[in-house]
Order: sequence, then C-alpha cells, then structure tokens
Amino acid sequence: MNLHIADYLIIIIYFLFVIGVGFIIKRRIKTSNDFLTSGRNIPLWITSLAFISANLGAQEVLGMVASGAKYGIMTVHFYWVGAIFAMVFLGVFMMPFYYGSRARSVPEFLKLRFDEKTRGLNAISFAVMTIFSSGISLYALAKLLEVILHWDFDVSIWLAASIVMIYTFLGGLTSAVYNEVLQFFLIVLGLSPLVIVALHDAGGWSNIKTLLQPQLTHAWRYMGHAESNPMGINFMSLIFGLGFVMSFGYWCTDFLVVQRAMMAKNMNAAQRTPIIAAIPKMFMPLIVVLPGVIAIALLQPALASKGFSIPSDGHGGLDYTMTLPSLISHYYPTGLLGVGITALIASFMSGMAGNVTAFNSVFTFDIYQSYFIKNKSDRHYLIVGKIVTVAGILLSIITAYIAKSFNNINDFLQLVFSFVNGPLFATFLLGMFWKRTTGHGAFFGLLAGTIAAALTHGLTLAEGKGGWIYPLYEIHSGMGQAFIVASISWIVNFCTTIIVSLFTKPKPDAELKGLVYSLTVKPTYHQDKWYLRVVPLGLILIAITIILNIIFF
Amino acid sequence: MYKKLNNLGFVIGIFFILISLVLIIGGLVSDVLAHRLNFYTGFSFLVFGVLMTFLNRKDDKDLKA
Repeated sequence: MNLHIADYLIIIIYFLFVIGVGFIIKRRIKTSNDFLTSGRNIPLWITSLAFISANLGAQEVLGMVASGAKYGIMTVHFYWVGAIFAMVFLGVFMMPFYYGSRARSVPEFLKLRFDEKTRGLNAISFAVMTIFSSGISLYALAKLLEVILHWDFDVSIWLAASIVMIYTFLGGLTSAVYNEVLQFFLIVLGLSPLVIVALHDAGGWSNIKTLLQPQLTHAWRYMGHAESNPMGINFMSLIFGLGFVMSFGYWCTDFLVVQRAMMAKNMNAAQRTPIIAAIPKMFMPLIVVLPGVIAIALLQPALASKGFSIPSDGHGGLDYTMTLPSLISHYYPTGLLGVGITALIASFMSGMAGNVTAFNSVFTFDIYQSYFIKNKSDRHYLIVGKIVTVAGILLSIITAYIAKSFNNINDFLQLVFSFVNGPLFATFLLGMFWKRTTGHGAFFGLLAGTIAAALTHGLTLAEGKGGWIYPLYEIHSGMGQAFIVASISWIVNFCTTIIVSLFTKPKPDAELKGLVYSLTVKPTYHQDKWYLRVVPLGLILIAITIILNIIFF
Repeated sequence: MYKKLNNLGFVIGIFFILISLVLIIGGLVSDVLAHRLNFYTGFSFLVFGVLMTFLNRKDDKDLKA
C-alpha cells in the first residue's frame, strides 16, 4: 500500500491536533489532582464518549474485527450480552459508591471498603494489566504500520509512543480524555464509509447470509453445544463467563473506564455517564464486528472476482488481525486511505493513552503515595505523576515486544483481563451488597481467584496456548479458554471471600456508610424528567439490547 | 479565538472541516484524489465539522476557568 501526500497530510493534521490539545490543556494543570483525576469538572457528553473511547483501542477496533472474521456474528455477544448490561448496572448500582465515597481510584475505594492490603493487591495487579493493554495497543499499531506502510517495526513503536507521551505528559488525564473524544469521532466516522462500501460490494447482509456457514451469521442459534459453533463454548459458559464475570468485571471494576465516570461534575452525571455511553456502544458492532463478517464473505468463491484477500499467518490459516487493514487497503482510495489509517492510529492512541493515564493515577496515589513517600507537597506528586507517565510508556514498549508472539491480540488481552478482572468483580459484588464481607475475606478471595485463574490457564490448552503446567483439558478457542479461566477464578474468589469473611471480624456499620448498599442513602431523581433518570434510561437500553439479540438470534 | 480552543466541540469541528477540505479540494485539483468516495466522505465530514463548530455547548464554558 502506497500513501499519497494527501494521506500523509491527514495523518500530520491529526498528530498536530492531538499534540495541540496537550498544549491547550497544559495551561490548566496546576495540581496533582488536575493532572491525575481532572478535578471532577468534565461535562457529561465528554465523560460519556471518553468512557467508551477508553475501550476503543486496538483491542476493540483491530481485535473485534479479527474476532468478527474468526467467530462471526457471535462476537456481538461482547456488546449485547456483556457490555450493555454491565454498563447499566454500573450506572444504576455502583456509581453511587464510587462517586459518593470521593475515592480517587478503584483501589482507593477498596481501601475505604476493606483495608490497605486489598488496595495494594488490586493496585499492583491493575498496574500490570494496564501496561499489558497499553503494550498491546502499541504492538498493534507498529505491526500495522510495518505491514501496510513498510515502516520499520522498532521505529514505529518509538515514534508512536513518543506522540502519546507528549500529550499525556503535557495535559495528563484531561488531555487524554479530550483526545479520546476526538479519536472516537475519527474512528466512527473514518470507518463508516468502509462498512457501507464493503457491505454493498458483498451484496448486502442477505447475500452474506447465503454465502457463509450459518454458524457465522447467527448469534445464538448454534450456542447449544460447544462443538457446534466457532467460539467453542456453549450458551451457559458464554452467559456466565463473558456476560457476567468478564463483562461486569471489566465495565464495573476496571479503573480505566470507571475513571471516566468519576470525572463527572456531580453524582447524577456520574451515574448517567455509562448509561449514555451505552447508546453508541450498542451500535458499535456495525463498525467493528460487521467488517470482519463481510471480509470472510468476500473470501468465498462466489465473490472471488472482488479480489479481496487477507494475509496468511504463515501456518496455513488467516492472519485475522490484518482483516481491517486489508479491507481499508482494498476499498479506500487515496485521501480516504489517509483517513482510514489515521482512524487506526487513533484507536491505538486512544487505548494506549487511556491505559497510561489510569496507570499514572493508580501508581502515584495507590502505590507511591501509600507505600513509599507519604505526606509530601502536592507539587511533589505532580512531578511523580509526570515521571510515571514516561515510565509507563517505556514499560508499554517492552510489553509490545512480548505481545508480538500472539496471532490474535484480542484473545491475548481477554486472557490478561480474565486473570485480573474475573476475580475482582466477586470482591466488589460481595463488598457492596453484603456488609459482613471483611478485608481479610476480600484479600484472600482476590489472591485465591488470581491463583485459580493462573492454574486454570496452566491446565487448559487452546490454540497452542496455555497448558504450561499440564495440558489436562483442550478448549476449542482462545476466547473460550479466557471465559473459562475467568469463570473459575470468579467462583473461587466468591467462595473464598465468603468463607474467610465468616471467620473474621467485619467493620462496624458506622464505617461502612456510603460504601455498602444497605447502609447507603440512595440518590433519588424523581423530580427530574424521565430522560435524566438512570433507571428509566437503563431499562430502555436493556429492552433495545434484548430486541437486537432476538433479531440476530 | 484562543478561548474557543477550550471548547472541545469547536476543536473537533475544526479538525473535521480541515480533513474535509483536504478530501474535497484535493479531489477537485488532483486526479489521484478525484474519487466519488472521497467527495461523499468529504461533504459528510464538512457537515459534521460545521455542526460541531457552531453548536453552542453550554457545558464547555465552565471549562474555560
């Protein structure tokens, strides 16, 4: 693929804008809170779009298109079984605790609800996870630039990481969030023409359904048995593993996304952030799943005349990660090609900057300030936050090279999430809704859940991955393995937390006000119009999601 | 003008207007860019950019402090 000067011009304009946003925001950065938490002063429309954009990194864009090609329309389960329900739950039930507690981070909330050691464990595991995610975004971009533009892999990594570092270093979280909103529009508007043109070229959805195996065009019909669908899992594993454990674990407890809602101006805006974000999220499969399914249809003999192809992975299969770049290369003319490439670059930057800023906050507040240097001036923590930005970028670069050995980056990322997020949601669920849960229970539950995740991964084998202890059980796909790992770790955490809590002393009720559901005054919005209230909005979203599942059953 | 740069909607609008101009003007002056898809996308971006630029966002005013 050769870029014209107009394509480069579009890429340069984008780089200038994201760096420019950093310079504009820099003037507002006076304190460590400005840099690391944005001072809770961001409008609802920005927090909502940033909420989904923080998740719109390489995992979402390249990874979901790859999964669409690999697993078919079943990939929509990440949205219509997982994300929407979890986002509504976060807005209605969990945001009052996060926002009302005035905690600056999720680990800090864990300290308030449980104790210091639970916070430490979560902060360290979260920091590791964000670096992994950031590194994968970086890897995805460098690989893309290497294949499409023939740029050197190492140069791409360092160049791209430098641009993210400039704007996050200058403007901290606010700069990252503002750029996330710009990136959101660029990704959605930049990839929409591709979906329209490719869908038209493939003869529309009805023709795709006739060309492909029915397993690839039905979301639920072939979920009865693990052997009868490409994901290799049945509907129970899907609903529990993805729909409950992984999705709720990610959307309700991952500080990367929760942080965007915590930046809102008031409680009502904080609760509505994930609910408003769920509206575009619901239709995101049109941009990130549908192209994958279209791509596989275009490879069928009946459409061979279209001349579309996806590169081989070198082992006789397809390199699914290259599905989206291949579509862009095939359909976009010079000019729009620059927009498409810029949209992909934006997806990488969005994911990486989101992770780096979340890493900054957690490392500075929950690790450095809690365990190393306490009671220093605010300026000291501002400087530390900036140094951690640079350190986070450098660690991401190292992680990018680790990610190089995996053929489907989405599987890899889901695996990392399942180690950390899977067990975590059990801790929150018990902590927020059962006042008897103790700090010891939460800590040992988290520990046992994470160990269970590692053991399960070590005893199961999927697509050549895992089984590092002994390949006791083989799973059809890496995605299915991630669901099972997450499910087992959640159950182990849940049971361990209950058992340990029953044998240890809980906090008195007075210390749990505002942190446990039964001891918290619920915010009421009866005086507001229905569209300003979280419950009616949430119910409407759930109803639409159910209808979408029925349509694509 | 500088104050307007504090308005994120304005910044996003200007960005899309610039991209649309590259696609539309480029398509008019260069054969390489003269593709129907560039014009359609360019005009769509232009409409979106103008709307974002001139929509009054009350919330953003608070950010100027």
